[in-house]
Amino acid sequence: MRTVLKLTSALFEDLVQRLREPHGFAAERVAFLKCRPALSATSLLLLAGGIHYVEDEDYLDDPSAGATVGRSGLRKALQSAYMESVSMVHVHIHEHRGRPSFSRTDLRENALFVPDFWNVQPSLPHGAAVFSFDSAVGQCWIPGCSSPSGLEVAVVGSPMRCTWKVSNG
Amino acid sequence: MANKLNLQRQSFLGADSETALGHSRAALVGLGGGGSHVAQQLAHVGLGNFLLIDPDFIEDTNLNRLIGGTVKDVRLGTAKVDIAERVIKAVNPAAGVVKRLENWAEVTAELLDVDVIFACVDSIGCRSELESFARQFLVPLIDIGMDVHESNGEFSIGGQVMLSMPGKPCMRCMGLVTDDALAKEVALYGAAGGKPQVVWPNGTLASIAVGFFMKLVTPWETHKAIPLLLEYDGDLQTVAPSNKLVYLPAYCKHFDSLNELGDPFWTADALAHVE
Repeated sequence: MRTVLKLTSALFEDLVQRLREPHGFAAERVAFLKCRPALSATSLLLLAGGIHYVEDEDYLDDPSAGATVGRSGLRKALQSAYMESVSMVHVHIHEHRGRPSFSRTDLRENALFVPDFWNVQPSLPHGAAVFSFDSAVGQCWIPGCSSPSGLEVAVVGSPMRCTWKVSNG
Repeated sequence: MANKLNLQRQSFLGADSETALGHSRAALVGLGGGGSHVAQQLAHVGLGNFLLIDPDFIEDTNLNRLIGGTVKDVRLGTAKVDIAERVIKAVNPAAGVVKRLENWAEVTAELLDVDVIFACVDSIGCRSELESFARQFLVPLIDIGMDVHESNGEFSIGGQVMLSMPGKPCMRCMGLVTDDALAKEVALYGAAGGKPQVVWPNGTLASIAVGFFMKLVTPWETHKAIPLLLEYDGDLQTVAPSNKLVYLPAYCKHFDSLNELGDPFWTADALAHVE
């Protein structure tokens, strides 16, 4: 079964614009795509319909990582997932063209915090993705599966960017 | 001779256009006067994967406009999806074709796997329902519609092609679907006689619809935005961007809620049935 994250180009443009805004000390910004799932004949779809941005004060001053979200920031994201009954996909952007990749830190942290969303939405898949300007890679944690699966990304717009094939990092 | 379609003459569409088209999947809902044209043209441009949906069989009154339909098909009562498949395979034997002799609402799981849906249906109610479905699952929908209007004993031909792109203005935003029009259609349900239909307006509208599709899936002229609504004046033989576009909101207000996305009855148990 494929797993595909779909978002509109309008949402993607909003996301890129906000994630590129400079922060006082964090080298990059992060956000969470709020998604609803569906099953097609061949795929698990995560349909993004909103963005939960991490607020300025919820970043920690941590030179060892591009962005580190504090406990209050994670708590707000968990609360959003719980209150709105959504799947959460953690996103950040690497400002280049071509296929991005998760860093070792990303992979380690993804494995630690993404499954935490099952504490508030245990029946929903959750994930993480890193975007470049024209590509993406992602991971998806599916209920009942112990390890993440790869996440494809489709940006629905004109032109369609439905060939953003990705691996699990 | 190889079965592979030679697309050398359309290589200007972009270096990866052939690959993009070959990997793309489109659903055609309705394979009558409009859909049969679309199917034929998508075969010629090299679309790799078709999902053909229509529960109907050809009748003798369809022969004035159904591309590929023959007298023999009428005699045999051939399904419209079978005629479309025959047309597609005659052009591009390598094309993948899945046929569903059903209403589209019976094959929604398969519809979720396509990149674009072509709505080639007759009724306002049907195109409205199909658009709601497409919005719910973030699938772009290209709608074509033509009509013949009688006024003072004269007949005028009109029509439109619309790109319903998730997040952008919808058919209600554009006034193509209104409560009044839906109510009138319901009131006329079951009235005897078919709507007037002719081949050339369908061909014009279908060609534009395929042009929309090419702009979506190939790198051709990506810096030029597609007008979301083009109107066809069949009397003057002109096509122009709709005047409504000037007044449209940038974003749709009818399908803007996260709550309207995805499967409303989702449970993790659904995953137990898939590999």
